[in-house]
Amino acid sequence: MIAIHDLVKRYGAFTAVDEVSLEVMPGEIHGFLGPNGAGKTTTLRMIAGLLKPSSGRILVNGHDLATHPEDAKMSLGFIPDRPFIYEKLTAGEFLTFHGGLYGLGEPGIGERVREMLEMFELGKWEGELVESFSHGMKQRLVMCAAFLHRPRAVVVDEPMVGLDPRGARLIKDVFRKMSARGVGILMSTHTLEVAQEMCDRISIILKGRIIACGTVAEIRAMGEGDDDQLTSVFLKLTGGSGLQEIDEIV
Amino acid sequence: MVRAYPYLLLPHVLSSRNRARRRERGDFTRGLLFVAVGIVVCAALFQGSFWLTGHLEDYAELGDFLLRMGLSWLFLTFLSFLAFSGVVTALSTFFLAEDLRLLLVAPVATRRIFHARFLRTVVQASWMVVIFLVPVLMGVGRAKCAGVAFYATALITIVPFSIIPVAAGTAATLLLVNTCPARRARDILMLMGLLFAASLVIVLRFIRPEQLLRVESLPDLTAFFATLQSPITPLLPSFWAGETLFASLQGGRDLLHAGALWTTALASVVAVRAASERWYFSGYSRSQEAPKARFTRFRALDVVARALPLSIVRRQLLIKDLKIFLRDVSQWSQLLLLLALVLLYLYNFRVLDLSRIPYMSGFLKNIYAFINLGMAGFVMATVAVRFAFPAVSAEGASFWIIRTSPITLHDFLWSKFWTALAPMLMLTEVLTITANEFLGVDPFLKVVTALAIVFMSFAMVGLAVGLGARYPRFGADTSQVAGSYGGVAFMMQAVLFVIVMIVALGWPSSVYLQQQLRGWPLSFSQESLMALCFLGAAALSLAIWIASMRSGVSALERMGD
Repeated sequence: MIAIHDLVKRYGAFTAVDEVSLEVMPGEIHGFLGPNGAGKTTTLRMIAGLLKPSSGRILVNGHDLATHPEDAKMSLGFIPDRPFIYEKLTAGEFLTFHGGLYGLGEPGIGERVREMLEMFELGKWEGELVESFSHGMKQRLVMCAAFLHRPRAVVVDEPMVGLDPRGARLIKDVFRKMSARGVGILMSTHTLEVAQEMCDRISIILKGRIIACGTVAEIRAMGEGDDDQLTSVFLKLTGGSGLQEIDEIV
Repeated sequence: MVRAYPYLLLPHVLSSRNRARRRERGDFTRGLLFVAVGIVVCAALFQGSFWLTGHLEDYAELGDFLLRMGLSWLFLTFLSFLAFSGVVTALSTFFLAEDLRLLLVAPVATRRIFHARFLRTVVQASWMVVIFLVPVLMGVGRAKCAGVAFYATALITIVPFSIIPVAAGTAATLLLVNTCPARRARDILMLMGLLFAASLVIVLRFIRPEQLLRVESLPDLTAFFATLQSPITPLLPSFWAGETLFASLQGGRDLLHAGALWTTALASVVAVRAASERWYFSGYSRSQEAPKARFTRFRALDVVARALPLSIVRRQLLIKDLKIFLRDVSQWSQLLLLLALVLLYLYNFRVLDLSRIPYMSGFLKNIYAFINLGMAGFVMATVAVRFAFPAVSAEGASFWIIRTSPITLHDFLWSKFWTALAPMLMLTEVLTITANEFLGVDPFLKVVTALAIVFMSFAMVGLAVGLGARYPRFGADTSQVAGSYGGVAFMMQAVLFVIVMIVALGWPSSVYLQQQLRGWPLSFSQESLMALCFLGAAALSLAIWIASMRSGVSALERMGD
């Protein structure tokens, strides 16, 4: 569903993403993990079409993003870490406009908008201005927009940030349902419990390079210990816990 | 289903509608004020151009020549304004607008995004020019008794005339963003544009148009006209627009220049669109890079601040405020334009030839001292609303840092006050003292106005900072803050204060000058009344200063309730 080959992004002499390749299959939830500044958001923004890769190839639903950007984007939903929503539009107006960008119109758009708002528990807020929404509500509204046009693949950057436990549970359920319907999801997260609970496969990126890729069990095995949590493996792969240094400073 | 590009403008239309439906506090007052000011300005422009054209009619062929040249100059001025405005607006609409993150991930072709953004850029960059042009051209048309054809020609001239420079500006932006990051490009453009505007104003002033009014400088008129004509070239769209309209005023049609306008406008749109399809995405991608503070660390500022007798809290607040201000080019570069205007202002006093009115010169000089004080007061109000009033709002989303720190809001607000007061006092004092020196006003008035400026600065900065704390807009940028309800309220109170101060100081000063002119000593009652007026003015300033600051501090303290 999403395939990236040898993706590189350079900012002057600094290489933010270095020869990254990965594949997200239909119905798969693929976790994209890494410490801050590792290159996760840059990679996701290139897949979404917001950043131009220095080199490499991105395919979405078989369409090359560089040569057929509209076809590729038509199959993709993107949920950014810092979503933009027109503050002076109502939730309903925003989703109707967003649907229009993907070619959805009357008849059917009104019903689809209400369906999505209900699914993300925002039904009663349809006529309210976005500026009155909390962060979590805005996050859910952006997710409504991302799934509105029935994409074949979804790219999500930090989906759980700012969500309450109920909201987080809701999002997990929606992602599971979507993947069951064949939607491929590439999700970056810092919450290792979420990755462990939801992802079929995980890629770990460090300093712009993929350093590990596999199922949760395979990644866990790389830890060479009997700890069944991802945290210790993640810390080991990405350069230790730094606990000794903390101890010295404190 | 692919929708036409105007669909991409829909959110802005809906947002405007929703904003109009759900008015915020002060929207009506602000709207009313802007409409009233707009009507007055448009009426003045109409009347001015009507009067001038009517007078030029008296000079037959010379009048026509001057009108033709005037139209070319008018369009030339607007051309440069539109080109600069086009560059700045294009940078914002094509590269820095937040909603691009939404549009660019959608399956929307670059061509459609270009059309929607370009239309928005043209409208945003040119609406002000159009609003100024319409009453001016209506005044000219009315004075020349022009028919409907002239107004129709004006309409079909203004449209391509607005498109050409904005297209050029958009192309320049595209080039600039592809060569350096957009956020740095914005700084460079802002600086270049303001330097350009400042130099334009200075050059126009140094042509010394007042010599037209002097009979003795008649031999220089030919040279003067030659100077005026030098920037008017037949290759510029401003010349084509001027010629098209002039022909229409004469009852004819200039299809050549009208055609040149339209074909150039269309060709420039096609060319910029092609360039955009080729380079837009790479430019946008570059615009995501953040600027580095490599050249703007301002270490000297730390050293100077450390030398000042301030507590650590106040020192750090001062350093933070100054560094943020100096690193934001869009903020401090406006001071360059202000500096240019101040220089012109002083230059006007330098060349003011009051000796041409021998009987009145002494009297006029002293009147000018008060006009000067009023002007300094208005400069103070303008600078305060732009820089001191948004001081609290400028904390933006970072205000939580202040709220959660172990410092009092009293300390915080007073730090803002002193930071704004020092430059304000210096600017207006220099302005007043130098202008009075050039004029050679009475020494008594020199002292009165210099002291008045000190009191006025304290009151005005206190009022601005205090009201800014009472009506903060943490989510808005500083220009929006200045135009908010609180900003408008400040301007009204500031103007009222300046008027009251001039009356309170002007009356006793005139009594003193009249007595001095007659050679009579001041009576006890006159001296008492004068002292009362001066003390009243001082007390008013101090009361406004302290009351505003106190009210600002308590408003900040109530914020958490």
